[in-house]
Amino acid sequence: MSRVEERLNRALARRERRWRPAATPLRRQLVLLELIGAVVGCVGGYLLFIDPVRRFEVTLASRIIDLLGVDRVSGALGDGFIVFGPNLEPVVAEMTGSCSILSSVLALAALAVVALRQRPQALPGFLAAAVFVLAANQVRLLGSLLAGRYFAVDALVFFHDWIGAVLNFAYTLIGLLIMIGLTMYDAQRAEQDRTGRHTADRPAAWARPGLGHRVPVEDTREPGVQIAAVVHRRILPKAVSRRLARRREQRRIDYRVGHETPARRAEIIRELAGKGLGVHTATLLAVASYETDPLVLDTLAGVVAARQWEPVAGGDVIALRLWARAWLMRAPGQRSIAETGRLVAVTGAGGPAGVAVVKALQAAGDHVLALDANPDAAGLRLAGRSAVLPCAGHPGFAEALLAVLEEHRPAALVCTVAEEYAALAPLTPAMDELGVKTWLPDPAAAERCIDKIAFARTMHAAGVPHPATAWTPATLGLVPGPWVVKPARGRGSRDVVLVDDPADLGRAFAAVPGAVVQTRVTGREFTADTLVGPDGTLLACVPRWRDETRGGVSVRGTTFTSVAVTEIVAATLRAVGHTGPANVQGFVADSGDVTVVEVNPRFSGGLPLTLAAGADVVGAYLTAILDPSAPLPTLGFRPGVRMARHFAEVYYTADGTPVADPLDPVTCSVPGFGAARPIAHSPSGPASLQTPSPVRAEQAPAIDQGMFVAVG
Amino acid sequence: MTGRGRRRAVSPHHRLGLLAHLAVFAVTVAVLGLDSTLGWIATVLNVVFLLFFFRHLGFAVAAARWTERDLDAPLVGAESFTPPVAVLVACKDEELVVDGMVAALLALDYPHSALTVVVVDDASTDGTGARLDALAAADPRLRVLHRRTGAGGGKSGALNDALALVDDAQIAVVFDADHQPEPDVLRRLVRHFRDPRVGAVMGRCVVRNGVESSLASTIFIDYLSGYLVNEYGRQALFELPAYGGANCAVRTDLIRALGGWNPHTVTEDTDLTLRLLLDGWRVRYDPSAVDFEEAVLSSRRFWKQRYRWARGHQKCLRDYWRPILTTRHLSPMEKLETMLFLWVYHVPVLCGLGLLLIVLRALGIGDQSAVSMVSLSALLFAGPFTELAVGLVLGRVERRAVWMLIGFIPAFGMSILTATKAYLDGMWGTLYTWSKTARSGVT
Repeated sequence: MSRVEERLNRALARRERRWRPAATPLRRQLVLLELIGAVVGCVGGYLLFIDPVRRFEVTLASRIIDLLGVDRVSGALGDGFIVFGPNLEPVVAEMTGSCSILSSVLALAALAVVALRQRPQALPGFLAAAVFVLAANQVRLLGSLLAGRYFAVDALVFFHDWIGAVLNFAYTLIGLLIMIGLTMYDAQRAEQDRTGRHTADRPAAWARPGLGHRVPVEDTREPGVQIAAVVHRRILPKAVSRRLARRREQRRIDYRVGHETPARRAEIIRELAGKGLGVHTATLLAVASYETDPLVLDTLAGVVAARQWEPVAGGDVIALRLWARAWLMRAPGQRSIAETGRLVAVTGAGGPAGVAVVKALQAAGDHVLALDANPDAAGLRLAGRSAVLPCAGHPGFAEALLAVLEEHRPAALVCTVAEEYAALAPLTPAMDELGVKTWLPDPAAAERCIDKIAFARTMHAAGVPHPATAWTPATLGLVPGPWVVKPARGRGSRDVVLVDDPADLGRAFAAVPGAVVQTRVTGREFTADTLVGPDGTLLACVPRWRDETRGGVSVRGTTFTSVAVTEIVAATLRAVGHTGPANVQGFVADSGDVTVVEVNPRFSGGLPLTLAAGADVVGAYLTAILDPSAPLPTLGFRPGVRMARHFAEVYYTADGTPVADPLDPVTCSVPGFGAARPIAHSPSGPASLQTPSPVRAEQAPAIDQGMFVAVG
Repeated sequence: MTGRGRRRAVSPHHRLGLLAHLAVFAVTVAVLGLDSTLGWIATVLNVVFLLFFFRHLGFAVAAARWTERDLDAPLVGAESFTPPVAVLVACKDEELVVDGMVAALLALDYPHSALTVVVVDDASTDGTGARLDALAAADPRLRVLHRRTGAGGGKSGALNDALALVDDAQIAVVFDADHQPEPDVLRRLVRHFRDPRVGAVMGRCVVRNGVESSLASTIFIDYLSGYLVNEYGRQALFELPAYGGANCAVRTDLIRALGGWNPHTVTEDTDLTLRLLLDGWRVRYDPSAVDFEEAVLSSRRFWKQRYRWARGHQKCLRDYWRPILTTRHLSPMEKLETMLFLWVYHVPVLCGLGLLLIVLRALGIGDQSAVSMVSLSALLFAGPFTELAVGLVLGRVERRAVWMLIGFIPAFGMSILTATKAYLDGMWGTLYTWSKTARSGVT
């Protein structure tokens, strides 16, 4: 060990042995020092100033006596008067130290310094109190002198000593009240009235605990003259007024922010922080302290992180930075989102495609507003926010959707239900006004995909391989068997009937509503997830085998490459004229021939496999929505990635409150997952809005669709 | 745990002590003369007043410095620490307020699996029992315990019976029937039990019916000062806040080991505070754990309530002053503060004595105090006034409320009378049992 290390160790050991007081004795010492300082200040001030103050008070009283024209009271003689009573008997009225205001003023000053010095209003409060005490003591002095002049010498003594003592107590107390009153807040800035009712209109989540009982308070006061406003407008120079306003704003919490919607709060925070962290520090710190919405907190952390170049304006800015550091560094298990700060609405969030899109967006760092017609849709529980809408065909759909969008103001809307395109298309101007961007395919193209009759005609016209199709009883016989009978407009495998016996064909055709009959294609079934750019370019085509399906949704699959499949898929999409996301379903025969069966002009239920294979069709689609002019890259993918799906669950009570997953190690151990919020019902419109716990998305890791195991 | 905090047998009266006081006074008068004796008493009183003035001023300074920041401080980790909690409420003839209380309790933000709510109907003669049964039928989380008439023990007895029902709970949180806690109050109280030395935690009570009468609004301000300044100051400077009778939490194993709440006192809260301290435990105070309660509306009820507090508090001093001075769990400074705390309800008695001396002096009886009597007596008022004023500022109450402080002058006068009567009754051993505070149930 070197000598330096030895000396260092010895010094450290010495330091260790030294007694260091704990925090509470230190606080006690600090307060004790303040009290000692106050006493020393009072005693010292008294000794130093008592004589000049006495003389000043006597002189002042003498001038007032002169002004009043009272005779037989001498002028100021040092620190006293000579008073001639009713019988002209002279008496010297000397002003003692106890008659002076000095002890009262010093006591008030000491109190202002030790207890109120952090409040800038205390200084004018003290000055006003001192002036009042001076005036009241002059009344006491004059009363004593006049009592001696007009009644008797004893009256002077009685008035001064006994009544004066009571007066002294009274005016010192009133002086204290004046000082405290001016240090207190006016009705506009106070948080509660004198009966304890909350008046500050703080949002409940931002409330200082216990400051006011929250009951409706009717404000019946007439707006009075605002002295501060007059001073700022009429008296102070503009530059000084602006400077004071800046300082005030730095310390003022803008409660209005807390009443806004989360998206609006995030927007306001960006604006406030954009002016500099030291400008609206108190409000930003209040957001860090009280806010629970991850979107808002992410935004705050992001803006604080982005302004690290700023010179630190004070301790609060350091506190903000520390908070932002902790927020951004929190454990991955606790991270509910990344930092895009965007909110994206997803319709059809209950379906497998919707769930996949919700999860893909969340994984990319976006916040999601999940929308679905089914209040029990699992996707509603996965997203940070959710709302239940009527079905697209319902007359209230448009109104409800716009109400929800206005409430949450998402940046974009992703539609995962093809049947909603027709209802959404007329709403795009209104959505634009709300700042909600979307990208809907050409309604005619979507219709060509949804309507299997129109689709068959289009495929036939374009020469794309497609099974023979009939949709009238007269032409049924022209379609070679075996057959598949399905509705001309249907989703998944609903109402699909397989027919082998020609005798059953007519019955099946009659039983299925709006049926079409097709030759059942044999071979290996595939789905290709695709994305077609606005200009018709095929940006992504990820074919995958549908190794096993349940309810029309692929539960096991494998990505593969095939030039033939890609060519047929491209030809199909070109023929229908679709742009945007789509999934093309078909078969590859043993001979290698590719036949297209149908196109769904939306994301597919098997989307997770496509994403796992590396083709971020959701991200590219969102980019195109948010910036239609942005160049979109062609998306490659990894073939041979397999998917095996399993069930997952979300739990919640009848009122929508999440119930913790007992099997999830993350939700069981991570702090912050217990806070559940009740469903907030929309005040207007048929939609019922839900604002789930901000951590709900992470709390429920998956639902009955969407979990996958990727195997290379 | 040493077991020193267990309940102890105490004498039912202190007539000998009272007699001893008179004897000492008589002997002193005989030796020094009346005037000189009165002068010395005045001097001693002034020293006591000075001591209490600086104590109150110290609390005001500490509160003015730190309370607001504490109220603003964000919660840390309250969601992740949720030991099983039993909420216990004793009700006797509380028909007017049980609905609001039960609704507030059932709305508490705490994991349902870790929360038990037990409300005791302590032989109510109004519809409290039936109403509680109906509420329990509507929500199975609520358990109701009916005590028979004459079960005894007052609030303490009811709480002890309720405690016997909740074996699984680690923490018992007590409210009164007129209380309506904020939803987050349990998390805020319970978080302090992370510290294994903490035996009990006190929250802050806020008056919710100040609008109903001027007395209620005066009590609202009194509570502001009591909780935001006095109780806060005691914690900040001495770590010795008091466990109160409601909105407070205590470890169940601890309260069982201490023999439960003391049914032989009318201020079981102060009693328990002292027993915890004597057993080496700490009490914590959380100004952000808030519940709202009713203030009394009439002077008569106010008198009865404050008399009970004074009577119980003074009894605690008589019961515990010796163990406090000898315990090894408190430092000398903490012993001094605890004694001053226990002396609080004796100071108005001394204040009355001081006023009497001033009157006698004005009549020419008694010597002048070695330190000025009038000015130091003013300090006695100044200390509480400073606390009240700082409480108003910290509570961010509107400016015009400051004039309500004048209403405290008669309140001080009343406290002199209640404390003096309680002192004389307590020393004489007048029989006194639990006195229930009547509610209005309007707000």
